[in-house]
Amino acid sequence: MFRFLIRRVIGALVILLVISAVTFFLFYAIPRDPARMACGKVCDAELLEQVRVNLGIADPMPVQYWHWLQGIFVGRDYTGIGHCNAPCLGYSFTNSEPVFETIKTDLPTTISLALGAAFFFLIIGVGAGMIAAVKQGTWMDKTASSLSLLGSSLQIYFVGYIAMFFLVQQLGVLDPPSYTPFTENPGAWVSGLLLPWLVLSIIFTANYTRMTRSQLVEQLSEDYVRTARAKGLSGRNVFFRFAWRGAMGPIVTIFGIDMGTLIGGAIITESTFSLQGLGTRAVRAVTDSDLPMLLGVTVVAATAIVFANILVDLVYALIDPRIRLA
Amino acid sequence: MSFSRRNFLIATGVAAGSTMALSACSSGNAGGNSASKAPSMDKAEAATITVGTKADSQGPAPEMPGAKKGGTLYTLDQIDFDHLDPAQIYSSYTGAGAVLFLRGLTGYRVDSKGNTTLVGDLATDAGTMKDGGKTWSFTLKDGIKWEDGAVVTIEDVRHTFERLFADFVTEGPRYPQNWLEGGDKYKGPYEGKHLKSIEVSGNTITFRLKEGHADFNYMLAMRGFAIVPKKHDTQKKYDKRPYSCGPYKIESRSIDKSLTLVRNEHWEAGKDPVRNGYPDKIVMQFGYQSLASTDRYIADRGNDQFALSLLNEVASERVQKVMGDAKLKQRVMTQVDTTCFYFPINMTRIKDQKVRQAINWAWPAQQLKQQRGGSQVTETATTIISPLTPGHTDFDLYGKKTKPMGDPEKAKALLKEAGKEGQKLVIAFQQSDKAVKEAVTIKNALEKAGFKVVTKQVDKTTFYSEIGQLDNEFDLFAAGWGPDWPAGYAVIFPCWDGSQISEGGVNWAQLNDTGVNKAIAAASVETDPEKANKAWGEIDRQIMELAACVPDYHPIRNYFYGSKVGGVVWNAGDTAIALGKVFVKA
Repeated sequence: MFRFLIRRVIGALVILLVISAVTFFLFYAIPRDPARMACGKVCDAELLEQVRVNLGIADPMPVQYWHWLQGIFVGRDYTGIGHCNAPCLGYSFTNSEPVFETIKTDLPTTISLALGAAFFFLIIGVGAGMIAAVKQGTWMDKTASSLSLLGSSLQIYFVGYIAMFFLVQQLGVLDPPSYTPFTENPGAWVSGLLLPWLVLSIIFTANYTRMTRSQLVEQLSEDYVRTARAKGLSGRNVFFRFAWRGAMGPIVTIFGIDMGTLIGGAIITESTFSLQGLGTRAVRAVTDSDLPMLLGVTVVAATAIVFANILVDLVYALIDPRIRLA
Repeated sequence: MSFSRRNFLIATGVAAGSTMALSACSSGNAGGNSASKAPSMDKAEAATITVGTKADSQGPAPEMPGAKKGGTLYTLDQIDFDHLDPAQIYSSYTGAGAVLFLRGLTGYRVDSKGNTTLVGDLATDAGTMKDGGKTWSFTLKDGIKWEDGAVVTIEDVRHTFERLFADFVTEGPRYPQNWLEGGDKYKGPYEGKHLKSIEVSGNTITFRLKEGHADFNYMLAMRGFAIVPKKHDTQKKYDKRPYSCGPYKIESRSIDKSLTLVRNEHWEAGKDPVRNGYPDKIVMQFGYQSLASTDRYIADRGNDQFALSLLNEVASERVQKVMGDAKLKQRVMTQVDTTCFYFPINMTRIKDQKVRQAINWAWPAQQLKQQRGGSQVTETATTIISPLTPGHTDFDLYGKKTKPMGDPEKAKALLKEAGKEGQKLVIAFQQSDKAVKEAVTIKNALEKAGFKVVTKQVDKTTFYSEIGQLDNEFDLFAAGWGPDWPAGYAVIFPCWDGSQISEGGVNWAQLNDTGVNKAIAAASVETDPEKANKAWGEIDRQIMELAACVPDYHPIRNYFYGSKVGGVVWNAGDTAIALGKVFVKA
């Protein structure tokens, strides 16, 4: 198991290195001039050169990338600004702040959004899928299947605006979306995020309902389930100890990927609800041509996705011992 | 409009620290009333911003009717402030927010009716001019304190202007650097040297300029020249946490999310003619697109009732709904902006005056206005200086008002006269859906007049770099400029004087006309405001006779706010809502 984990972590680090390098070099291929954008309304050639030096973009590309990599492990000094502590993901001249400091303030919003939504879509989605599988062919199954089809065909920006219009503007039953730290006011944390959670769960629930149903239906028709039934095990035991366990593997996989993506930044969700998390940060970094920030957000998002996948592999391995041997 | 922070500053020309936009007839007033008609330049009252008396400079600021102290005021805007170090502040939006904690030598005193006067803010008056505007003196008020209780000194004032020369200052306005004697060689105060043309004596500071500038005191009202305490100047890092001598100080900041201000207990209302400082706390929130903020104001729930926007306007998707609803419209402040969007014509490529005039005659002003949302959001421009800026003279040389759809026949005749029928024109636009549509309209109109048009979409972020190149390959391109302070000089000199032609400069048309240059030189040193205004109006006409550009439009801005916000008045000097005068209703 330990060797399995080590192998996965090394693979993840290589992936992250490749992603950071590709992002770094791609950014330079885009015909944009961050220096011009950081220069004032009246910007002459001399001033522009000064800005280039200030922004640290006067060095050759590979040198800049090497300095960036070093910064992650040992920190980095910026002339006139001071030391950026490890892990230093760079310094954003747009925000006048180390990248990691900014990202730290974005993460709580993004994590709150992801966890809250996961709470709803797991309970509703897996629950509905289980009912549909057990009550195969009944009106409950048909309703769950139809609703999930409807849910999976909807988009966040569509449901989000409709929900905001009716639930916030017209009926006034929910608060306008906002983020208040849980530690500051748990009530405001819930009321501000409830709408995004519900909307996200509508979209995601659909997948989980369909996935859970199909997996359970498949498992329930497996030979080992029939054998268990034949041996006289109770229906509940057969369902939870055999069929459910077998069905959860793929669901855990999908969940891991979804969580990684959500923590990596739910760009559309955050934009729709004007929440300031990693997603909106990424968009702003692109439009500001803020390379250090863009690189930082990309690496953090990639790390979230890659490590969520490692976690999934681990859980999967626990559920299904055959994986460990593969 | 969706602009990134810096694109917004560069691309719109709204970056101007202090452009002037005066209240149109339907502007919301302190009571939040607004008339039912759309505003327009024709109906705008072009009030002038006069220099106030010494008494006006003393403070307190004129009270707002019905105002109460206390409560928390919120703001909802799209983008965070780009800088907090005054030396780096150029955008009027940032200036509008920073007025609460940054104070300069001069500032604008606004009364409850929106009348705006230039007064001394930290100075005892709006300055004393000598030698035809070459020497300016300001005396610091006694006992003004920083947020730590230390007194603001004349050394702080000198240091503020000297640090503008440091190499980390690259984004703020650069007038003092260019105007002060010896400014070209000075490298800032950090090596222990003072700039000789800034002298201090007692509590008075004197600036010696290379040339006369009668509006130096207006220029100083830009937030870019707010005072920085020498003791706490952390140079580059000052941008992160500036020191306050205004009614509020920074409690916390989360970049791109929020900026929270709390009372500065060392501030004295009696010494501040600009700010009333009514709310106890101000929470500025960022990251809300115009559509999101508009919907919040429509819903008017929770904290949004106590909110206003300094940058976000009523979203174009909601203009009809909001402006068509008498109740909602009461909470909208409508202002005509003095920014002029125009199409400079590249004089190095289109050398024939008649061809340039033909472009003007063929211009589809009415079609473009409709495309942009009609008279509720834009007003057709016929001059370079806005009708609301001192120095404006009303003229319409190319029939924009009489023949708003364009006059292709007249244009054709001019092209024929010049022997340039079928003249090729390369027109550059910033890449956006909106620009693509406008480009089609312009192309159709010009082709109807006998031009052959090639349109080029240029990336938003490199657009101004490209049109600023002296050897660019465009004949015509969309640009915009807002004056940095309310004067003809701030409109004309940077963009139309021959001396300003440089790589990356903003004399985009590359106009270098001896007659215009001479007239600019004369108007710049004119100390009589009336004569100066007349002269700038004449120069505007001269440039338009040469047809160095096609004036396009002036934006009309609609600012929405919550039902429990009062005292929303316009500061015509800062061209922004006068945030220091806003209060929250219980």
